[in-house]
Amino acid sequence: MKLLALMKKEFLRFFGDPKLIVTMLLPGILIYLIYTVMGSAIFGPEEAYDFKVYVSERSAAETAIVQTAEANGWSVDFLEQGELTVEEMRDKVQAGEADALIVYPENFDETLSAGGSFSGPLTIVYNSAETRSLRFYTVADAVLSAWARPFALAASDLGAEGGSAQIMAGMLPFLIVVFVFSSCMSVTLESVAGEKERGTLATILVTSASRVDIALGKILPLACVSLIGAASSFLGVAFSLPTLMGVSLEVAVAGLGAAEFFLIFLLIVSVVPLIVAAIATVSTLSRSVKEASGYTSVIMILVMVLSVVASFVPGIGNWVVAVPVLNAVAAMQGVLTGAAQVWMCLTAVALNLVYTALLVFLISRLLSSERVMFGT
Amino acid sequence: MQTPVFAELGTEIVRAEDLRKTFALSRKQRLLDKTGAAYKTAVDGLSFSAYRGEIYGLLGPNGAGKTTTLRMLSTLISPDAGDAFVCGHSVRKEPQKVRDAIGFMTSELKLEGFFTPSYLFDFFGAMHGVEQGTLAARKKELFARFGIDRFAEVKVKDLSTGMLQKVSLVIAIVHDPDVVIFDEPTNGLDVLTAKVVTDFLLELKKMGKSILLSTHIFSLVEKLCDRVGIVIDGKMAAEGTLAALCGGVSLEDKFFSVYREAKGEAV
Repeated sequence: MKLLALMKKEFLRFFGDPKLIVTMLLPGILIYLIYTVMGSAIFGPEEAYDFKVYVSERSAAETAIVQTAEANGWSVDFLEQGELTVEEMRDKVQAGEADALIVYPENFDETLSAGGSFSGPLTIVYNSAETRSLRFYTVADAVLSAWARPFALAASDLGAEGGSAQIMAGMLPFLIVVFVFSSCMSVTLESVAGEKERGTLATILVTSASRVDIALGKILPLACVSLIGAASSFLGVAFSLPTLMGVSLEVAVAGLGAAEFFLIFLLIVSVVPLIVAAIATVSTLSRSVKEASGYTSVIMILVMVLSVVASFVPGIGNWVVAVPVLNAVAAMQGVLTGAAQVWMCLTAVALNLVYTALLVFLISRLLSSERVMFGT
Repeated sequence: MQTPVFAELGTEIVRAEDLRKTFALSRKQRLLDKTGAAYKTAVDGLSFSAYRGEIYGLLGPNGAGKTTTLRMLSTLISPDAGDAFVCGHSVRKEPQKVRDAIGFMTSELKLEGFFTPSYLFDFFGAMHGVEQGTLAARKKELFARFGIDRFAEVKVKDLSTGMLQKVSLVIAIVHDPDVVIFDEPTNGLDVLTAKVVTDFLLELKKMGKSILLSTHIFSLVEKLCDRVGIVIDGKMAAEGTLAALCGGVSLEDKFFSVYREAKGEAV
């Protein structure tokens, strides 16, 4: 009962204040606007592309690619290999005379319909330095990634190292964590350090409510509210992603199925209460919102730096699963690049919840400490 | 719990036994106090008892240890040594039971301005585990008695100081505690609000509550208190009923005579 009353109070405090609701939803809207402008600047005005793509052999896969391209208002002209060698076709892609090259495993359609095994991967050769080439790659990769395919899919970028698709896969988890952190920060700092500063927390401490109830009564509603803020930011990213990647929404998320979205959702849900609990711990230890804000900014920078490391440093070990928050970044990156490791996702979720429980216990102890609460 | 010595006074409801509390001094505090000592003893072996239905006053100058004593009794802080019992429960070992038995009022405890008196009354009722039906009846009675029903749905931040003080008082006793602890009840209040508070305390006494208050205002003690303890430098310098303690002189004269005796200095 006491826990419910405490939670209800936090929800009322939040949903009764229109300013707080706007603060929560504004980042999502801003992200959408900024990213859309960024995407438009990168890819320029929308063009009616007519892609020229070399193929090592003709395949029914072309139909699916053409359909998706046409859905975006583009067309594809598949050119046969003829007398050219694979190297020569690559050179044409490099030179901008063609937009891409698809090298199928031998007898691709026959092996696929017979259910046989493939000797090598299906490779898409493209040039990320060319917008047209990159756009075709994004479409083809999305279409083929969505297949329940018995063959491996490979990409060969002739442009600068690291195509924008890989950069996006690396950036998204990092961005999600940053947005989640900012969202948690905006509600938690005021709610915990603010109450302490105003003396309203001490009024609750002289009631017979247990310290664990008081801690949970803060963390759970704040986590729910932060989740709304994080969802707003996430939707802002999701809707601006197509413009940022230069493709339609369907194509941008084509490689992700329900299972992948569910894993990402689980990871976010496990990270939000953990970050809220961490900020609440810092807020409880601080004497004012200003002080708490300073300490939390340091934590945010630390999380951002480590998230970048987890996102972009290749070959990071499995040990990262034990590191709070970073485990979610690494696991999300795995999901987005199609290399999802379910054990890693579930372990990260479980460990984050354990860390949250430990922090709730710590906060309940801090609430009992007169040195922390009253500075004696 | 009946203490034989004070049996004629009724049931002992609060007992402080050799309470001690020391605080570490920050560099800034040391400079302000002009001392090199790293610690300050705020309460130094304080013992006293308060009985059911009486108003007991802790009288002393600023920094004497009155507020620290009341904060220990209300379990906000813990004694370094000694113990105190409220309705038989130890503040050290059973703080939650003590919190159930007391209503604590001090200027450092604030109400959130965003909510209304009506909501906060229900919220703090729930915090003390008061049953819904009882809570509704109690709200109706207390709000009517103190005139809060006129502004029950106005946000606390929009209330006047007097209104806010009434709301704070009513919320402190939402769970019908046996003991009401009040730190400097009229400090910083205008005359009208101060009267609201003193009338409220007398009303509580009529309702059979035991009240423990701290103050440095002689007139307040003379108006309200049945018994008084004079606290100087964290120690109980003198204690008794007003009549017995003063012995025919005014409380002010008695206080300064006790002060001179304790400090060995002219005032």
